[in-house]
Amino acid sequence: MRGTVDNSIAEAPDRILASEGIAAGLSSTDAAGAGRCFHCGEPCRGHEFTRADKVFCCRGCQAVHDILSASGLDQFYRLASAPGVRVRNESGSNTWAYLDDPAVQKRLLDFTDGKLSLVTLKVPGIHCIACVWLLENLFRLHPGIGTSQVNFPRREVAVSFAPAKIAFSEVAALLTSIGYEPQFTLAELDKLRPGSTNRRLWLQVGVAGFAFGNIMLLSIPVYLGLDSFSAPLFKALFGYASLALAVPVLCYCASDYWHAARLAVRQRMLTLDVPIALGLAALYVQSAVEIVSGRGAGYLDSLAGLVFFLLCGRIFQQKTFARIAFDRDYRCFFPLSVLRKRADEERSVALSELRSGDRIVLRNGELIPADSELIHGSALIDYSFVTGESEPVARAKGDRLYAGGKQLGEMIEVEMVKDVSQGYLASLWDHAAFGKQSRRDLETVTNRYSRRFTGAVMAIALSAGVFWCLSGQAARGLKAFTSVLIVACPCALALAAPFALGTTQRWLARRGIFLKNTLVLERLANVDTIVFDKTGTLTSGGASRVNLHPFDSGLSDADKSRFAALARHSTHPHSARIQEVLAGNDQFQFSGFNEVPGGGVEANLDGRSFRLGSANWLRRRGLAVPEIPGANGSASYAAIDSKVRAGFVLHTALRPRTEHLLGELSPKYDLALLSGDNEKEREKFRRLFGSDARLRFNQSPFEKLAFVEKLQGDGRTVMMVGDGLNDAGALKQSDVGVAVVEQVGTFSPASDIILPARDVPRLARLLELARRSVRVVRVSFGISAVYNLAGITIAAGGMLSPVVCAVLMPLSSISVVLFACGSSSRAVKKTGLNPLPD
Amino acid sequence: MSSAGLARGSALAESRRTPASVETFKYDNHVVRAFAFATAIWGLVGTSVGLLAACQLFWPGLNLDTPFTTFGRIRPLHTNAVIFAFVGNGMFCGIYYSLQRLCKARMFSDALSWLNFWGWQAIIVSAAITLPLGFTTSKEYAELEWPVDIAIAVVWVAFTVNLLGTILRRREKHMYVAIWFYIATAITVAMLHIFNSLEIPASLFKSYSAYAGVQDALVQWWYGHNAVAFFLTTPYLGLMYYYLPKAANRPVFSYRLSIIHFWGLIFIYIWAGPHHLLYTALPDWAQSLGMVFSVMLVAPSWGGMLNGLLTLRGAWDKVRQEPMLKFMVVAVTAYGMATLEGPTLAVKSVNALSHYTDWTIAHVHTGALGWNGFLTFSLLYWLFPRLYNTKLWSTKLANYHFWIALLGMMFYVVPLYTSGVTAGLMWKEFTPDGFLRYPNFLETTIRLIPMYELRAIGGTLYVTGIMLMLVNLYKTAKAGRFIGDQQAQAPALNAAATKESPRLGHRWLEGVPVTFTILSGVAVLIGGLIEIVPMFLIKENVPSIASVKPYTPLELLGRDLYIREGCVGCHSQMVRPFRSETERYGEYSKAGEFVYDHPFLWGSKRTGPDLHREGGKYPDAWHFNHLENPRSTSPGSIMPNYAWLLARKLDTGVAGDRMRALRKVGVPYKDDDVANAQKSIQEQSKKIVANLAVGSITNAPADREVIAIIAFLQRLGTDIKALTAPATNAVRTAQLP
Amino acid sequence: MSVIVILILISLTVALLFLAGFIWAVKSGQFEDTCTPAMRVLTDDAPVKEPNLDPKHTKT
Repeated sequence: MRGTVDNSIAEAPDRILASEGIAAGLSSTDAAGAGRCFHCGEPCRGHEFTRADKVFCCRGCQAVHDILSASGLDQFYRLASAPGVRVRNESGSNTWAYLDDPAVQKRLLDFTDGKLSLVTLKVPGIHCIACVWLLENLFRLHPGIGTSQVNFPRREVAVSFAPAKIAFSEVAALLTSIGYEPQFTLAELDKLRPGSTNRRLWLQVGVAGFAFGNIMLLSIPVYLGLDSFSAPLFKALFGYASLALAVPVLCYCASDYWHAARLAVRQRMLTLDVPIALGLAALYVQSAVEIVSGRGAGYLDSLAGLVFFLLCGRIFQQKTFARIAFDRDYRCFFPLSVLRKRADEERSVALSELRSGDRIVLRNGELIPADSELIHGSALIDYSFVTGESEPVARAKGDRLYAGGKQLGEMIEVEMVKDVSQGYLASLWDHAAFGKQSRRDLETVTNRYSRRFTGAVMAIALSAGVFWCLSGQAARGLKAFTSVLIVACPCALALAAPFALGTTQRWLARRGIFLKNTLVLERLANVDTIVFDKTGTLTSGGASRVNLHPFDSGLSDADKSRFAALARHSTHPHSARIQEVLAGNDQFQFSGFNEVPGGGVEANLDGRSFRLGSANWLRRRGLAVPEIPGANGSASYAAIDSKVRAGFVLHTALRPRTEHLLGELSPKYDLALLSGDNEKEREKFRRLFGSDARLRFNQSPFEKLAFVEKLQGDGRTVMMVGDGLNDAGALKQSDVGVAVVEQVGTFSPASDIILPARDVPRLARLLELARRSVRVVRVSFGISAVYNLAGITIAAGGMLSPVVCAVLMPLSSISVVLFACGSSSRAVKKTGLNPLPD
Repeated sequence: MSSAGLARGSALAESRRTPASVETFKYDNHVVRAFAFATAIWGLVGTSVGLLAACQLFWPGLNLDTPFTTFGRIRPLHTNAVIFAFVGNGMFCGIYYSLQRLCKARMFSDALSWLNFWGWQAIIVSAAITLPLGFTTSKEYAELEWPVDIAIAVVWVAFTVNLLGTILRRREKHMYVAIWFYIATAITVAMLHIFNSLEIPASLFKSYSAYAGVQDALVQWWYGHNAVAFFLTTPYLGLMYYYLPKAANRPVFSYRLSIIHFWGLIFIYIWAGPHHLLYTALPDWAQSLGMVFSVMLVAPSWGGMLNGLLTLRGAWDKVRQEPMLKFMVVAVTAYGMATLEGPTLAVKSVNALSHYTDWTIAHVHTGALGWNGFLTFSLLYWLFPRLYNTKLWSTKLANYHFWIALLGMMFYVVPLYTSGVTAGLMWKEFTPDGFLRYPNFLETTIRLIPMYELRAIGGTLYVTGIMLMLVNLYKTAKAGRFIGDQQAQAPALNAAATKESPRLGHRWLEGVPVTFTILSGVAVLIGGLIEIVPMFLIKENVPSIASVKPYTPLELLGRDLYIREGCVGCHSQMVRPFRSETERYGEYSKAGEFVYDHPFLWGSKRTGPDLHREGGKYPDAWHFNHLENPRSTSPGSIMPNYAWLLARKLDTGVAGDRMRALRKVGVPYKDDDVANAQKSIQEQSKKIVANLAVGSITNAPADREVIAIIAFLQRLGTDIKALTAPATNAVRTAQLP
Repeated sequence: MSVIVILILISLTVALLFLAGFIWAVKSGQFEDTCTPAMRVLTDDAPVKEPNLDPKHTKT
């Protein structure tokens, strides 16, 4: 359930909430019912934790329940069934200590005056109505907390608290204690929050809409030629009122277009803003002249309408997804604080405080923030994050550890040899790819089209003007000139792309595929080369599986569950998989437990010694380890006493239907594979990619980046599909960077598209869809061109009337918008990328 | 949870003292309950009166031959009771409950709350007394006389202050969309009421509209249209956005859409009033364009309807179980139907057929019975169990109410559509050789009677439903324990804490010019209004047709009687420029003929024939007999007997005051006109008595009310009989249908 | 008909007032979050157990 929420909430929260609504209908007993935790709904082992008729999965959940009911907040459990979040890591007292550091607070707090502080915390745990209610009732849990306001789409809660009564660190601890652990990242500290929605735009739309409506009201008598309104008083009054209403539209609402047009002219390139600006100017001048001279009522309604529709188009185009950040850099992956050791006092300090030479302590699963040297303990580092190499490597005292690696196993102590910002990883971000603001964004379909268009319009306008002037009707000539500009004002043209591409973008978002902006679609349509990362992209940890190879007697079920228990104590990435095949979750009292990082685990149980680990390690322990036929993946072995009883082979499996995908792509595109892994599987991928595809292994992040750069040098339009930091450079450099994520909302490197892993096999369809939507835009241009021709012929004749203008303008815009939206949605359905049923 | 846990819970809760910034307060349920009961009771009264009026349309004798229960007087009572008593109280009830919770604050002032409640009830009671007594301005939905108008203004201001005050003191930063709808209601209704009720008192219970004829009509229907928009629609949309999600236990389908719904409605509806009026004078070629504008009006309304219905998707199982959801669904659907029908009726070609017929009645009842009625029922069923902290006494009974009410609505609306179309067609039908097929209006009337009877059945069902509801609500109240002051806690909304983070600070600056422009614009407009209002009123009252003269004192008194008896409820005084009407009634009406009509008496419904060209059509004696017993002159007529007009003595004393009052609004009575009022009354009465004698009605006393009415009826539309053709063209431009 | 001018000007005045309201609303961030408010109303009368409140009283 939580999964669904995470995937689709960003786009259509109400859909999810609906299901929450049903949940809210349930009575609390349903939740407690089938051995599921009353608090978090996860299955309970036994009934050790209970309160009255309620069972809990763990002490943590029970504790939260007690806190809530003590504060009269157990309504929480009636708003949704088992709405709680399992309290996973009991945060130690000093975990949040660094938050009280003034320097940190200065950057995290939105506001403080000493008596009252306001902070906006990111709380990924928020997932339902009950959460919102609970978090907005925080003040009941601690006297120091005042208002707290949740922003559900952003998964944020803005808390105001009195520092005198409760320290910042205590606020964080309180939230953690009820299961809503706030999340701080280094990026947050450097204020890389996603910007707020564009208020200015909304204001402009509002003002334009207001003016549009009221000017139209004042124009109705004119449209209808009501005699009773021919009284000069009315004409003048309404005329000047409209003029007044149109001023803010022109100066405030349309300001961006003036600006853009000026810019375009200065850069000697005819973007669509130029004819728009011209049209607006013509509209206002013409109208002003008519009204002041009392000859007519002008076209101010069309002016306001035009701007209104244009701005609506913008709003539609500027769709941003609150929870999705496309520009994450390495800082987003690092924790905000680590345990620093100084003269054996350990204190958690902000990462930004760390300097090279500092000694820090890393627990199991923590990232190495900067290149450092191992001082104490034995490390097992998982570099998959950095290099894509899936095998964790053992490191001994004195070895160099690189930033971005993840420590598995025991607690280690390291000394930083570089500052956080100068590490192996960070240096990737110094590359030009991250600096330059590419000009390619100006190369849109619309702009290419508008160049010809604008030229043509100017030509017609001038020639029409000149024609009438030569035929001795200067006044009519002038009118013809302006009215051509008015009619040709490419409102429909400007709306086509935003609505066509915007619609596609929305549909995809509802499926969990997020596009950075609509331009991505246009670039996607031009892609001719596709570069794949291997680990996590074509293959996946999720899909990998372990095969059990019994030797001679093999393992009894009893022993299996013993080894399962043993594996549970191991931190090795494979141990989880091994547990699965052994399938057992009984508890055993092992003695003499010992884990050797990079080696294995050993322990004694009723007189027998159990070992689980790598071949080398067992051999070092003097055991004979038989070969497993055809094992190219890495293997682990289970031994009882001196006898190896079974082997476990890990196969990193391809994602389902990957062959099919590559089959679809290879005829149309040049394919390439980049992997941080060793060459073990070259043959396998050669078969998949075909003979002419380029396969590169042992690629460092820099080599990947360079590879993409080179392709582009050969004039290719490159799409890079990858995950993890090791692809960050390549993703950024490529024309379209596609970041594959197991779950939307989890960290992904900077990219243009965020693609849920389940949709990787549908990549071909995505490309197809992009081409279709761009085609839709082109057709829309055709339609609006027809309208323009019709209007221009009338205008060039110098016989444009307000009514014609008033009807033609919205008619063209609306019909184009309808067409664009309609056919884009159809394209989505055709390519079968419509939202998954919830 | 277990009682032990409970005990521990509260104990611990005690142990943690509530923080300084947290405020404990109580929601005021007393006033909500008061309004809730008022709603239910007035609902029964209002609909019952409506039923009585409806029955008189096929059974005239049902007025028991007393003036106070006669159709003309109780029809306005019905409309006022339903709109202001039933819907009004329902609206206050819903707002007072939801606003407090949305703002996390008690109402701004209990005193104002109760002033609002008792004031409003007092107004309704005074309406229930004055209207049957015949004290009326005859302007639809604004019939109440000037003292009550003032009371309404006062109470409404109290409500507005209470509303805004609560909003300012709210403890929740965000203003839920419903609140916006409430604000729109408060402000706009105040404006509408004030501008439509500008009138000059002639005595304690008699006043004359400041506007005359066409202008009065324009203002009245600008008010009429926007009253529907802002009294019957916006507040209930607010309620819908609050109670529908609550009842369905789901967030509204799209909150963003609801925000767009509001601003769209505000920016379009506001000018829909006058725009609506402009239709009346459209040249035919403009119909299509008119439709375009109407469609613009439909868009936001339907946005709202869909938003409401889609909120329920996936909850239809709930709808099956819970009556309040059923009511809600029908209400929202009815809203959609009505908002689609309204603009359609505004299209001239449709209007030509529908206007003056029962179609309009059917249309407003789709809105009133469906949208307002059903939503109010839903609201009450939802509210009572919560106020009394118990379950609804009988869901089954509520379901019965639903089905009965729905059936009633069908029985009401369908016959009236039929009747409307039938009447419209019959009035317009010509024989091949160019004569009206039904020259006698009675033929139509008699044809419609079965429809009226069906309608009465529908009404009866609807009223029955309300009775069931009353029982259910009463039992619920009995069963539960009323929580008068519901305790709640919320942290104070600290200005500093809620202010935007500096990142957005600079944006404030660029807004200042715009805001300033707007405020100055408002100032200028208000100033301009004060400047031009009088100017226009005077200017327009200059007669455009030489032969049009003010009413004689007797005719004036007759006209006031015509107003008192509510004749305008069944008889229009506006011949539209259609051949079917000129054939039937005579020359079509010109704007210039109404310059002395304070108020205008065009009417909106023709249960009886149009009377604008009545003058001289029949001899005085005919009118005398017809008023005594309509069936004596028109067999089958459904008009009640006005015997009391023959009995009651005409109060001529008031003539002077009334003429003086009318002078203030521009009717050119000269001093000696006023001075000689009595004399002229006697002379004109004598003439009429003589005419009656000719009609073999001897011994008719000259000092009875009937004489004045006859004088007025015989004057109607006679001014321009002598008019020459060119003059007609001169005023053609100003004509209205 | 000229009274229409008055009516229109009145309407315009009110419309301008609402425009001011709109601008205030947008500026003060009223419409920043168009999701949570809709959820919030569902729980605005969720009872918090106080001594004087009956725990059975729920909105579900």
